[in-house]
Amino acid sequence: MDTQGLVGIVPWTLIAQLCNLFIQLWLIKKFLLTPVRNILKKRQEMTDAKIQEAEQAKTEAHAIKAEYEQNMLAAKEKANEILASAQKTADNQAEVILQEANQQAAQLKAKAEREIAQEKKKAVNELKNEIGDIAVEIAGKVIDREVKESDHEKLIDDFILNIGNES
Amino acid sequence: MDINIVGPKVFWTSSWEVPILGKFQLSETILVSWLVMAVITLVCIFLTRDLKVENISKRQALAEFIVEKLDNFVLGNMGERFRYMIPFIGALFATSLVSNLISLTGLRSPTADLSTEAAWALVVFIMITRQKLKTNGLGGYLKGFTEPIFVMTPFNILGEISTPVSMACRHFGNIFSGIVINALIYGALAVASSALLGLIPGAVGAVLSQIPILQVGLPAITSVYFDWFTGCMQAFIFSMLTIMYIAVEAEAE
Repeated sequence: MDTQGLVGIVPWTLIAQLCNLFIQLWLIKKFLLTPVRNILKKRQEMTDAKIQEAEQAKTEAHAIKAEYEQNMLAAKEKANEILASAQKTADNQAEVILQEANQQAAQLKAKAEREIAQEKKKAVNELKNEIGDIAVEIAGKVIDREVKESDHEKLIDDFILNIGNES
Repeated sequence: MDINIVGPKVFWTSSWEVPILGKFQLSETILVSWLVMAVITLVCIFLTRDLKVENISKRQALAEFIVEKLDNFVLGNMGERFRYMIPFIGALFATSLVSNLISLTGLRSPTADLSTEAAWALVVFIMITRQKLKTNGLGGYLKGFTEPIFVMTPFNILGEISTPVSMACRHFGNIFSGIVINALIYGALAVASSALLGLIPGAVGAVLSQIPILQVGLPAITSVYFDWFTGCMQAFIFSMLTIMYIAVEAEAE
């Protein structure tokens, strides 16, 4: 088999190696650099997107927190308001009730007094009637008995006096 | 005992002929170059198989590591505007490295043929000149040869040409000398083996002296330097020099 020179430049080999180098360049670009760069770019994009997402979520969370705090404040205020108004209403109501109760009590008292007076009057009247009856009865009994005229007189007088005092 | 170191074998010679260039010869250099290209390309395809954005495999991590290192190597030395040089430097380095190391398999390195390095150096020379023209303009480029004085012109031209020549010869010399030294070591060890075992008397010595036992071992150690170290070193130096020459011309702007 032929061999080429040990040290020397063979034009055809030089041209072939020139072509080989540029073919190799293209092959490396196509099979190594481009795919790897694509994947790196994709990863970069994904990371950027994730960071942006996180940033957005943070902003949103902040907004929600602020809103929440505001709401809490408003709620507290409202609660206080409601409490105050309830207190006021209760006070008013209590007063009204108290007043009513007082009024009612007064009314009841007045009614009771009236009734008592009436009852008293009635009792006195009844008593008077009964006394009359008793007096008649006693008189009857006394008459049945042997009584002195003086006793009889004195008795009636006492009765009348007593009744007069009592009424 | 004769040691025979020959140039690349010729597997096929064309019947046609082109003026100046002569007959095309399909040499060992070209064939092994194709093998080198196939190896590099297959490695690239293997490394970039099913790339993922998350949960990457070790293979993908290696691919990304290589690309990142290559980017840093080129951009760190040349600057961001030479981003377009990345594939070229990558191809140059990979081809050189694999070509140098393929000699470990017993094949003849394409880089042990000066034509290969000459082709690469020619490309680098064109790139350097292009950068010079871009930086200084045609007038400035031509004027540069007459500096500091007109008499220096021939030396300047010589200096200009010596850049690619030295680059090519440095790389070629290192790889080729590795082959020569390897052949010498093997030859010497065969002789030593034969002489040493020939001392054994009788038929045993006659048989054993035919087997170059001493060839086992020592060449593996010397190959660490002549194949591995030199191979990696020269690939790096050639790429580095390419970068440096172009960057220096660009910085003169």
